[in-house]
Amino acid sequence: MSLIADEIIQFSSVLRMAYNLLTGRNYLKRKKFREKEKLVAVTLPFSDLAFAAGTIPVFPIRMHQFEISQYLTYLGSASSIFGWNTVSNFLGFIRNLGINEISKIVDDIIEDVIDVINKKYNEMYDIGIENGISSDFCYGLKSLVGMHVTKGSNVDACLNVTIRCSAYNKYLESLKAINKGPKQIWVDIPPRNIGNAIELLTNNVSNAIKEFENLTGKTITDNQIRDHFKIGNQVKRAYKNIIYEISASDFYPCNPATFSEIMALLSISFQDYNSNAPRYRDNIMALEREMRERIRKGIGMDVADRPRIFVTPMFGGWEPKSHEIIYELGGRALYADWELLRMLEEIPTSSHSNPAEEYARFLMNATETGIGCDNDKLTDSYLRMARDLNADGLIFFQLFGCHSISNCYTMLREKVRRELEIPTTAITFNKIGENVEQVKTRLGAFMEMFR
Amino acid sequence: MDDLSLLSDLSLFLKEKKANGVKIVAYLAHDNIPEELLDAAGFFPLRMMFGGNDDLMDASHNFLPPSTCAFAQSCIGLYSTKPNIFSFLDLVDFFIVSNHCVSDICVSEIISKHFNIPRLDFYVPYTKNNSSLKYFKLELLELKKRLEAITGTEITNEKLFESINKYNEFKRVLLKVNELEILGSEKLKVLQRAMLYGPEFQPDLEKFIQYVRENPSSLLETSKDILFTGCSIFVNDNLVDLIEEGGGNIIFFDTWIGSHYSSQIINDSSIQTEKDPLDLLVLKFKDNIYGDHTVPNFLEQKVALIENYYQKYTKTKGRKLGVINHIIKFCDHISLLSSFLKERLQEKGISVLNLERDYSRANSGQLLTRIEAYLEMME
Repeated sequence: MSLIADEIIQFSSVLRMAYNLLTGRNYLKRKKFREKEKLVAVTLPFSDLAFAAGTIPVFPIRMHQFEISQYLTYLGSASSIFGWNTVSNFLGFIRNLGINEISKIVDDIIEDVIDVINKKYNEMYDIGIENGISSDFCYGLKSLVGMHVTKGSNVDACLNVTIRCSAYNKYLESLKAINKGPKQIWVDIPPRNIGNAIELLTNNVSNAIKEFENLTGKTITDNQIRDHFKIGNQVKRAYKNIIYEISASDFYPCNPATFSEIMALLSISFQDYNSNAPRYRDNIMALEREMRERIRKGIGMDVADRPRIFVTPMFGGWEPKSHEIIYELGGRALYADWELLRMLEEIPTSSHSNPAEEYARFLMNATETGIGCDNDKLTDSYLRMARDLNADGLIFFQLFGCHSISNCYTMLREKVRRELEIPTTAITFNKIGENVEQVKTRLGAFMEMFR
Repeated sequence: MDDLSLLSDLSLFLKEKKANGVKIVAYLAHDNIPEELLDAAGFFPLRMMFGGNDDLMDASHNFLPPSTCAFAQSCIGLYSTKPNIFSFLDLVDFFIVSNHCVSDICVSEIISKHFNIPRLDFYVPYTKNNSSLKYFKLELLELKKRLEAITGTEITNEKLFESINKYNEFKRVLLKVNELEILGSEKLKVLQRAMLYGPEFQPDLEKFIQYVRENPSSLLETSKDILFTGCSIFVNDNLVDLIEEGGGNIIFFDTWIGSHYSSQIINDSSIQTEKDPLDLLVLKFKDNIYGDHTVPNFLEQKVALIENYYQKYTKTKGRKLGVINHIIKFCDHISLLSSFLKERLQEKGISVLNLERDYSRANSGQLLTRIEAYLEMME
C-alpha cells in the first residue's frame, strides 16, 4: 500500500475528501444539535433536493464513528490552522526525506481511509443480516439495512427515490418499519418517458419539495434550488473531466492503482457530497486542478501501454482490491458508474426555467438512458461507457443477490463481443474481502488476454 | 383433476383458440396487467403461473445467475427446455414485458428476445399518488394503441366495458370459491384452473360451487387451519400437498392466486357512472392495495388484512389459525419484508411461519419437517 499512500498525499484535495468522509459524524452532530439542521438520509446520488431544501443529506454510513488513525485527526486539526495544502506539502516533504517513521504514519493514514470504509461496510452488512434482511439480497442492500438499523433513527427524514430495482424499492418501504421516527419523502420516477410523464414526475418532485418545506418549516424558492443545481453542475463537470480527460488519457498524475483508489473515493462520496455541497465542489475542483497541474509538469506515470479495464458496477458493492490486482497485472482499472448511469448530467439553471421540471428531466433521462427500464437499455449504457472510455476490456461485478443489474450480464456479454469486440468477464461478489484469491485468479486469467 | 390433465386440457383449449384466430398474450403471473384490455382487443391473456423443478431452474442459468427468483428461473427453463406438457407455450404470439419486479422485466425480456416472441411493454408505477395514477393511464393508452395497431381494429369503449363486466362477474364467482369449506388442495386446483382459463371457466365454477354446497365435505377436525400468504402456489408445485401431509389445511389463500386476484372487483356504481372504461382500470389499480408491487404501504395493508381475517375467523370458528408466509427464494418483494411481517403479526399474537424455498424437489423432506414443527407449535 505504500506506493498508493505515497501518491495520495500529493493530492491534498483527496486527503480533505477522505477526512470529511470519515469525520462526518462530528460534522453531522454539530449540524443537528448545535445548528438545529435537519438530517436527511440519502442513497445513490439523489441528494439534490435535500441540499436545495437547506437540509443536510447524509449517506447513513457516515453517521458512524470510524476508527481513523489519530494522525488523520491531528492532520485535520493542523489543517484547520495551517490549511490543507501546507499540511500535505509538509507531509510530502518529510516523506521524501526518507524518515521511515513518518512514512509509516502516512501509510497508516491512507490505509485507514480505504480499509476503514470497507470494514464499516462489512460491519453494516453483518448487522443487516442480523436484523432480518435475508442473506439472499445484494451486498448493497444488506449494508444499507445495517446502516439504518444502527444510525437511521438520527435522521429527520429519508429521501426515497424509486428506481427499477424492486428490491431497492422494497428496502425503501422497509425504512419506516426499521425506524418509525423519520419522515419518508418519496419521489416516484415513472418507468418510461411516455406521454406527459415528465409533467407527472415534475408534480412528484414538487410534492417532495413541499414535504421538505413541511420538514424545515421554511419556503424553498426556485433560486435556492437553482443555486444548488449550479454547485451540483460544477461537481459533475469536474467529475466528468476527471473521467474523460484524465482517466481515459495515457498519462496519469499518479500510478493507476492510486488513481482508481481516488475514483472509488469519489464514487462513495458523490452520493451525499460528504454532506456539504460547496465544500465538496471546492475539493473536487481542486482535485481536477491538482491532477492537471501534475500532468502538466510531467509528474505521474505514462500508462499508454497499460490496457484500460473498465470495472463495473461497483456502487452496490465490489472487491476494492481489484484495481490493485489489475495494476499489478499490468493494467489500469477505470471506474465510472455514475456517468454510466447518467447521474453526471448537468441540470439547466437559467432564470426562466422551472427547477422542479428540470430536475424531473434529469431523473427521467437517468432512468431512460442510464439505468434503463429494461436490460436492453441498461446494457447499452455499459456499451456506451466502454466505448467512450476507449476500454480495452470490461470486468463486470456480478453481485450475489442482485436481480436488477447482475441479471443483464448474459445480454451484455453478447453485445460487448458483437459490438465492441473486447474481452469481458464476470466476477461474482458477495462481500468485501471474502473472495480475494478467487478474484486474483479470475483477473489473472483475464489479464493474460492482453499479453 | 391433476396438474398433468390440467396442462393437457389447457393445451387443447389454447390450440382451439388459435384455430379460431385468437392471438395469445403471455405474461408473468403478476397483477396489474389489464387483462380486460387484452380481452377486449380479442387476445387471450395467458398467465405464466407454472411452478418449477430443479431441471427448469438449472436450464435458466445460461441466461440468469442462480441467485434469481426460482419462479423467474423456471419460466426461462420452460422456454429453453420446452417439456412436452408445456408445448402450448409455442402458441404464444406476444409476451408482455412488465416491471412487477425487476426479475419480471429480465425474464420477460429474455423470453421475448431469445425465443423470438414479440414483446408488448406495460410498466407500472411503484406508488399510488395522483401522478402515478395518471401515469398508469398513459401505459394503458400505449398498450391500447399497440393492440389496435396489431389487430387493425379499434377497441371500442363498449367492448372494453363488456370485458370489464365479464371479469368482474368472474371474480365475484371466484371469491365464493375462496370461501368454500373444502380441502385447500382441492380449492387451489380450482382457482388455478379458473385463472388459466379466465371467464370462460365461470359456468364450470358455478357448477362446482353448487356441487360443493349440495355435498358438503367433512374436513378433518384434527387438521390445522392455515391462512396462506406471500407468493402464490403455482401449477405443478407440490407445496399444498406437503402442508396437508404435515397436518395442515389452507382455508384461505391470501395470495395472488386466491383472494388477492378475486378481490380486485371494480364497484358497480363506478362502472355505471364512468364514461371512460380506461379510468375504471385505473381505479382497479388504485384499489389494488394488497398488491406487493406497490410502495410504501404494502406491509401495513397486508398486516391489517391478515389481522382482520384472523380475528374474524378465530372468533366465528373458535379454532386456531396459523399463517404460512410463502417466500419463493430470491423474491424481492415478499422476502424483503418477510421479517417485518412476521414481527408485526407476532406482536398481535398471530404466529407466522416464514417458509422460504425454491423449486428443488430435494428439499421436500426439510420443508415438511418445518411445516410439521410449525403445526405442532399451534397445538
